[in-house]
Amino acid sequence: MVKEIERAGIPVVHVCTIVPISLTVGANRIVPAVAIPHPLGNPALAREEEKNLRRRLVMKALRALQTEVEEQTVFAN
Amino acid sequence: MKLTLGYIHIRDVQFGPATEIKGGVLYVNAQELIEKIKEDERIAGVKVELARPGERVRILPVKDVIEPRVKVEGPGGVFPGMVAKVETVGSGRTHVLKRAAVVTCGKIVGFQEGIIDMSGPGAEYTPFSQTYNVVLVIDPVKGLPQHEHEAAVRMAGLKAAAFLGEAGREVEPDEVKEYECPPLPQALARYPDLPKVVYVYMLQSQGLLHDTWVYGVDAKKILPTLISPTEVMDGAIVSGNCVSACDKNTTYHHQNNPVIEDLYERHGKDLNFIGVVITNENVTLVDKERSSNYTARLVEFLGADGAIITEEGFGNPDTDLIMNCVKISRKGIKTVLITDEYAGRDGASQSLADAAPEADAVVTAGNANETITLPPMEKVIGYPETADVMAGGFAGSLQADGSITVEIQAITGSTNELGFSRLSARQY
Repeated sequence: MVKEIERAGIPVVHVCTIVPISLTVGANRIVPAVAIPHPLGNPALAREEEKNLRRRLVMKALRALQTEVEEQTVFAN
Repeated sequence: MKLTLGYIHIRDVQFGPATEIKGGVLYVNAQELIEKIKEDERIAGVKVELARPGERVRILPVKDVIEPRVKVEGPGGVFPGMVAKVETVGSGRTHVLKRAAVVTCGKIVGFQEGIIDMSGPGAEYTPFSQTYNVVLVIDPVKGLPQHEHEAAVRMAGLKAAAFLGEAGREVEPDEVKEYECPPLPQALARYPDLPKVVYVYMLQSQGLLHDTWVYGVDAKKILPTLISPTEVMDGAIVSGNCVSACDKNTTYHHQNNPVIEDLYERHGKDLNFIGVVITNENVTLVDKERSSNYTARLVEFLGADGAIITEEGFGNPDTDLIMNCVKISRKGIKTVLITDEYAGRDGASQSLADAAPEADAVVTAGNANETITLPPMEKVIGYPETADVMAGGFAGSLQADGSITVEIQAITGSTNELGFSRLSARQY
């Protein structure tokens, strides 16, 4: 899906837990997620902390979307 | 460390007034077995059914298959840390009720368990069509949370296997085999001219119905470690794992791991089998990185020339497999991988979710997306309505006449990644 949307000229950020798979399938902008059963959250955290975590992930993905890349890039920080 | 396995060949299973083995027939006192299982207050009801090779019987949804065994000499007991006390096993003498099996059946999550057909085309795909099965159909008390339900059914199967295994305590085995696991310096010195091979045994460890236990420890919580192959044979590893049942190791698979048996077979002939490293397949990237780092270091530490790596499951564990392969290969140690494929129903898709150039020697156990139609059976043990929703099934899988069209991933053990199956490839 990542590649098909990009083929249509729309940049994509792939938020995913297992970065090596994302690299293998050819995503260009990758944001590492939390865990396979809960990529975008963490049930071990308190409600407020988890909301912050989720916000950080979304903000990071939005920043990645606006970043020019020349090669496959993992936005680790 | 030396383990003697005494195989008692079971030729039939029947209900009887006492649980015993006479003339190769395993007699089961169902009432005694039910009472044993119902000691667990999480279990509301249990039915005991028998299923023999060739019968027109289907069993679903299958959670685990366990071989009945009994420890007759030496330390420990069967399933240490689960049923017996957590003593180190793998030495002494253990009796095996060969071709007998306990099959647990229960609607835990419903879509995550497997199918066993005792005859017809489906029987070709599962090794458990060839065993004399004592099937437990287990209902939990109302409102029992899924994790508790899983634990109750898992323990019921292990307890039943230990209970039936007792029948073999005083029986003279038909066949006896010995397996030795010497201390590492001796193992290394014994065959100095043969290549030293380590087995890397990956254990599924991703949560409910995806877990494995080692001496009672949840494998997701271990760092990769060494285990004697005789400990594995003696029940140190048990399964809690049946999702997409084709490539999950039941407890029976762990007790009878063919990679370990074949490495023993060739030990001292064309290779020196020096050890087993167990590792896990966890749900975060940092766990995968840590475990594969640690695994590669242990394999190097043992002084291996080559490693055989078996995966359990598919999808993200393909990454654990590839990380293990790459990191071990980069230490100058050759690797061979055993996996299966999800290449689509036409076989044209990418087989694994991950890949690397270092993975240049790979054995496949088959394409789990192949579909098969299982004809109706005279008798269904368990809950047939789960066929529509099980992994490998789809809406309409269960036909009105009782036949089931599914991907072979729904069949217990069909593409087992230890090679415990009869699938093979043929070139036309």
